[in-house]
Amino acid sequence: MSVLGRLSRSPEGLFGCAILLALIAAALLAPVLFPRDPLSIAGPALLKPFTDPALPLGTDRLGRDVLAGLVHGARASLAVGLAAAFVAILFGAMLGTLAGFAGGIVDEALMRVVDAFQVVPSFLLALAFVSVAGASLPVVVVSIALGAWTAPARLARAEVLSIRERDYVAAARVIGMHPAEIAFRQILPNALPPVLALSSVIVAGAVLIEAALSFLGLGDPNIVTWGSMIAEGRNVLRSAPFLSLAPGVALVLTVLGVYLFGEGVSEALSSRRIQA
Amino acid sequence: MSTLSVSRRLLLQGAAAVAALSAAPRAGWAQSGKRLVVAADSEPKNLNPAIVASNGVFYVASKVIEPLADASFEGKDGLSPRLATAWEGSADGLSVTFRLREGVTWHDGKPFTAEDVAFSALNVWKPLQNLGRLVFANLQDVDTPDAHTAIFRFSKPTPFQLVRNALPAVTAVLPKHLYEGTDIATNPANTQLVGTGPFRFAEHKAGQYYRLTRNDAYWEKDAPRVDEIVYRVLPDRAAAAGALEANEIQLAAFSQVPLSDLERIAKVDGIVVYSKGYEALTYQLVVEINHRRKELADLKVRQAIAHAIDRDFVVKTIFLGYAAASTGIVPRNAPEFYTDDVPAYPFDVAKANALLDEAGYKKGANGTRFSLKLLPAPYFSETRQFGDYLRQALAAIGIDAQLVNNDSAAHQKAVYTDHAFDLAVAPPVFRGDPAISTTILVKSGTPDGVPFSNQGGYANPALDALIDKANETVDVAARTALFKQFQKLVGEDLPLINVAEWGFITVARSSVKNVSNNPRWAVSNWADTDLES
Repeated sequence: MSVLGRLSRSPEGLFGCAILLALIAAALLAPVLFPRDPLSIAGPALLKPFTDPALPLGTDRLGRDVLAGLVHGARASLAVGLAAAFVAILFGAMLGTLAGFAGGIVDEALMRVVDAFQVVPSFLLALAFVSVAGASLPVVVVSIALGAWTAPARLARAEVLSIRERDYVAAARVIGMHPAEIAFRQILPNALPPVLALSSVIVAGAVLIEAALSFLGLGDPNIVTWGSMIAEGRNVLRSAPFLSLAPGVALVLTVLGVYLFGEGVSEALSSRRIQA
Repeated sequence: MSTLSVSRRLLLQGAAAVAALSAAPRAGWAQSGKRLVVAADSEPKNLNPAIVASNGVFYVASKVIEPLADASFEGKDGLSPRLATAWEGSADGLSVTFRLREGVTWHDGKPFTAEDVAFSALNVWKPLQNLGRLVFANLQDVDTPDAHTAIFRFSKPTPFQLVRNALPAVTAVLPKHLYEGTDIATNPANTQLVGTGPFRFAEHKAGQYYRLTRNDAYWEKDAPRVDEIVYRVLPDRAAAAGALEANEIQLAAFSQVPLSDLERIAKVDGIVVYSKGYEALTYQLVVEINHRRKELADLKVRQAIAHAIDRDFVVKTIFLGYAAASTGIVPRNAPEFYTDDVPAYPFDVAKANALLDEAGYKKGANGTRFSLKLLPAPYFSETRQFGDYLRQALAAIGIDAQLVNNDSAAHQKAVYTDHAFDLAVAPPVFRGDPAISTTILVKSGTPDGVPFSNQGGYANPALDALIDKANETVDVAARTALFKQFQKLVGEDLPLINVAEWGFITVARSSVKNVSNNPRWAVSNWADTDLES
């Protein structure tokens, strides 16, 4: 049975998948649905939700369309989440493979670097990096990846340590394959699946860190993000709580969706393994 | 994870605030009962108002260290006497005579004399203070014929009008016996203040509170009325409103309660909202322009930007009506100098677009003419919101403005030292006379790094000459006329664009009496402020 088929039979996986698909659709269709700059002033300020059909979710303190902000904000959140996870896993898996395969002093040195990164809370690391390098989307991605690459690195190293003792690796050595080729063509692909299972955790964490950075005013001010919407709304929390609640709910749904989807996928994968 | 750290941060702040309350000393509480707890949003390290003349410092220090005179709604020339009882300028502008109050003692018991005034003027105000540097630039000597007379002698004519208008902000008097022969900038009395004011400085617990106690030997009879003032450090603006409602604090000044919350909190029983009491501290919302940019050096482009800003929207939506649209560089709150006989730039997008076309900056294929870097000052949520608005207003006339957000230190460096901006949003303060902190915004020749000065590379010899002339014109009428001409010239040439002007809002429990009864109330001495139990 295919992974997809098995995924479709787990309700939480399906639910997560539906949320993610809706988000991706929103992110992709944002320029079509709301062609205007979501930061432009679209109507009177602090319009209550569900009062004007043209502005279904109302407007914020400057009169910006909340729905347009939410939809465009999905782009930023997903882009940052996926990009940061990609960078973190790519970088982490490579370093982990290298450490596990080379062993000895290289392994020791690389793992101490990992330790150094792991002792600093990832959010503080991101905060420090962004305040030094200046707030823009690529910087935010790198800053999040900085704190997230260590887990994939450790996992990849552990996998590689067990795989490198297998017979087919010994065989590859015997036929004279270059060590780098063995590491990255023979071992890494087999070490990757458990590392990939981490991706949902990393994406969810990245989305949250991005929101927190924007909330603290360290996001890119020229794009809408859910974190900056919550921060804006916080000033009027008592009189217009909806302005913070709407992006907050979107954030919760996204993280929930990513987690459930990841959970579903890893369950589907593991049951395939057992069957195989 | 990260939202957890944010909420943890808030939690910690809350916990710190609670700890501050419970840690606040109880001794005075039992004896008196008249303890006024107020919110403080910043926590300046150097509290010496004679060196750092800024509102954040005055807010605490003005109760301890007094100026020669303070602003007043009723007094002659808008002043009421403090350490000086009378003042008079000579006709040639070369001297000013102060009669000083008798029977005043410092908090450590030593008598206050003219020597203290002479020392403060020559060793602190003139060489060290951000504002005094300009006002007392030509101060040569201070004669002290007797213990209660100080005669300021100037090397060049210095308008008495300027000295008079500057008295509240620049003349905080320091005790000579504690500062003489020491390094003034690092003297321990800069943090452990000693003055003549109605309150003594008791202690400062970093991150928690400042505590001032009653000066029983204050020169004014029956003052002060409260026994203790505690400034609770509440950097989170949203927290002030809640603390007021819970009666944990009795007063929050400088709009610490967000404007958007005022309508709601005004209806709460036992809370009063005051919009008075900031008339002599008018803040101005200004677009600073970097004239080094080729496009912005073109007057037509600057006029187009001025026409693109809907001042009405700014006042109504960003300031929720708690502000007024500006007509020029001098605010309406300065009736002595203000004139509306200046060029006006009404909101007109079509005209702005036409001006830009005329200037030769046609819209490109994507609808943009050129890109700019826009740096909104981070000090107030209104300056940041105006930055968001300005970006949209500029987009409507085909100028693509990219916002750059910085913290306070980085913003000051970027704008005033590195000049790494095209447009910036600034909130300068008008302090009673254009020569104190306003002409510096447009005059050329200020060294790099001086904050709130002309760092946009603007140089207009005619305007500079006008400012220089006003600075040495002693005759009040002639000097005022020169400043009216100055406003007109600034309006015509637009070295910067004035958008709005605002005063702050004080929110207090109704048990606090005599609030906002002078035009610099939040930074005045609070000798008559009372607390009903």
